[in-house]
Amino acid sequence: MQRPVWSLPLSSAVISKLNRRGYQCTADIEHLTAGQLSTETGVKEEEASEVLDLVDHQRYPVSITALELLQREAELKPIVTFCSELDRALGGGIPLGKTIELCGVPGIGKTQLCLQLAVDVQIPECFGGLGAQCLFIDTEGTFFLERLREMAAAVVRHCSLLTEDQEQQDAMRTFTVEKILSNLFVVRCDDSMELLSQISDLPAFLSDHPEVRLIIIDSIAFPFRLHFEDLPLRTRLLLGAAHQLAALATTRNTTVVMTNQMTTRVQGEGSRLIPALGENWGHAANIRLLLQWIDCKRMATIIKSSSHMSTTVHYQINTDGFRDLSEASKRAKVQTEDQKAVGNS
Amino acid sequence: MSSAGKWSDNPALNPRIQAALRRGKVKLQGFHSALMSHTLSKLSIEVLCSNMTFDPSALLLTPAVTLSSGCSSIDRLLRGGLPVGGVTELFGPSAVGKTQLALQFCLSVQYPPEHGGLDSGAVYVCTEDMFPSRRLQQLISEQSVLRSDVPLSLTPKSLSDRVFVEHAADLPSLLSCLTRRVVLLLSRGLVRLVVVDSVAALFRSEFEASDWLQRHQQLLAVSSALRRISRQFNAPVLCINQVRPRPGPEPGLDPAVPLFSPAPSSFGPALGLAWSNQLTVRLMMRREEGLLVRGDQSSTPRSLQVNFASHLPSADQSQGSTASSGQSQGCVIIGVWREGLRGEDQSQQREMDQSGASV
Repeated sequence: MQRPVWSLPLSSAVISKLNRRGYQCTADIEHLTAGQLSTETGVKEEEASEVLDLVDHQRYPVSITALELLQREAELKPIVTFCSELDRALGGGIPLGKTIELCGVPGIGKTQLCLQLAVDVQIPECFGGLGAQCLFIDTEGTFFLERLREMAAAVVRHCSLLTEDQEQQDAMRTFTVEKILSNLFVVRCDDSMELLSQISDLPAFLSDHPEVRLIIIDSIAFPFRLHFEDLPLRTRLLLGAAHQLAALATTRNTTVVMTNQMTTRVQGEGSRLIPALGENWGHAANIRLLLQWIDCKRMATIIKSSSHMSTTVHYQINTDGFRDLSEASKRAKVQTEDQKAVGNS
Repeated sequence: MSSAGKWSDNPALNPRIQAALRRGKVKLQGFHSALMSHTLSKLSIEVLCSNMTFDPSALLLTPAVTLSSGCSSIDRLLRGGLPVGGVTELFGPSAVGKTQLALQFCLSVQYPPEHGGLDSGAVYVCTEDMFPSRRLQQLISEQSVLRSDVPLSLTPKSLSDRVFVEHAADLPSLLSCLTRRVVLLLSRGLVRLVVVDSVAALFRSEFEASDWLQRHQQLLAVSSALRRISRQFNAPVLCINQVRPRPGPEPGLDPAVPLFSPAPSSFGPALGLAWSNQLTVRLMMRREEGLLVRGDQSSTPRSLQVNFASHLPSADQSQGSTASSGQSQGCVIIGVWREGLRGEDQSQQREMDQSGASV
């Protein structure tokens, strides 16, 4: 906690004034107000407040053990995607406190997965969900309320079929489509400046709305790909934003989901699709999911994650939302078995 | 973007920053990081105060605004019609009926909102052929047949007066047309639908393969102009696109094309991934086998499919939801008649089959 005053990034005039009055280290200055410091040392009042700001930031980081970290993480439930294969590959669902990037061509289902997660994060705790709220930042204008209602109705139907005990029945009384819509905050950002301002305003937003556990940015690529001629500036801005989002995710135990577009990279004679926004952006997110068409089927691949194996799973998008591919055949099997049972009895 | 001078008057900012902004300095140097981040957060609030977070549950009572096509089957496919806030693309091989569907929208936009229109006109930007004015006149004269649901008193008079036609033979004139003339018509409230027929025509003729960077930038300029006017004036934008042949499974040619949709088809949309990333809805129209007969008219059937849209089921999606009744979504069969494009209602077809079988 002790740090000598000369090592702070202040002008030498200010440092010498502080030293002349005997203030050698930060512990001496902490408890003073700007006014007191100014009168004591002869430093101007605004400079004194700058000094105090600096001193406040000189806390050494507190460390915790890996065991404590493990226990903390075990208490955090993941957000289900409703595609059981993908949930299994991710160890239960999208983990809390991480930044996740979804890449894919248009129409593959990125927005659909985002809408699904926006509903799934609200599933009540007695059903294994988080019972939390969500902030959806829409930059492309692809947020359609009707689609969200459909997905919300499907999740409510699903939960009401699973209701068993009294606690769940009580929860279902308030878990309705209207409630789901009221727990979702939607913002529309039209260009990169608005998006960056929104991101820097997020800590204040999260302090005002502590129930928010999921932030979705759909998409983060769009505003940055339009009018940016200065590519190094774009990289700096993007990485700065990624840094802010990562800090937010860890300190507030919130998940940040970002959607990215694909672009073509020309290599010699041929070309292939790669995620947009450049090589450096590839390091920004904790987890990267690639959604693509393989043999006319929709597949999701975990291409970057420090805690999951690289797996590829099938999924489909239907009226209910983001689901497993084999759900239709599963339900058909159940129906025919029921019919057989009815026929026999 | 507001000038630095306006921000310099913000009392929440540090006086030294204010002084620097007043001197006209846009690049602020020499301030330490804590002060800079404080400044940034204060400025962010300025930028955001016009950007309100809205509560979706408050919008429950107002349905999404869409522009009807005049045909109930097509409207059912699109869940109302063209979305008002984005760019819709319609692509397909030549002479399949894309221009005719666009003309149909130019007429349906003039109806009042309770009949699916937007009570305003349309601007049609032509880039290659002449404007099909004869077909438009034919559609106008047969409107009572197509829109039999609208009482005569509410049918707009002089439908051709509110369709404005612009021509753009090359890219600079297309951009200038979009940013000036079209914006003028929109801001005066004279039009609310913008049709561009077609986008690909200009890009094909002007660029060779080696100019791809310039082509990319021009494409982005056109698409961002379209998105901007759609957002600013809450106007639907319909772009007609051509096709290019889909390459075989050999690598080497652009592999982006097969990845757009799983539907096995010999063609895909022109203009590539950069353009596709800008679209809200993509529709595909193509010819099908068979023949449709209605009264004294006959027509080759076409299929109109949703290729992608975040609020519509696309043509490839399998059934298996808990709510749907199992009808085929994402695709509708339409015929081209004198009065316009009309979808073949499935129940109608079934009745015809049954009556045919009984006879």
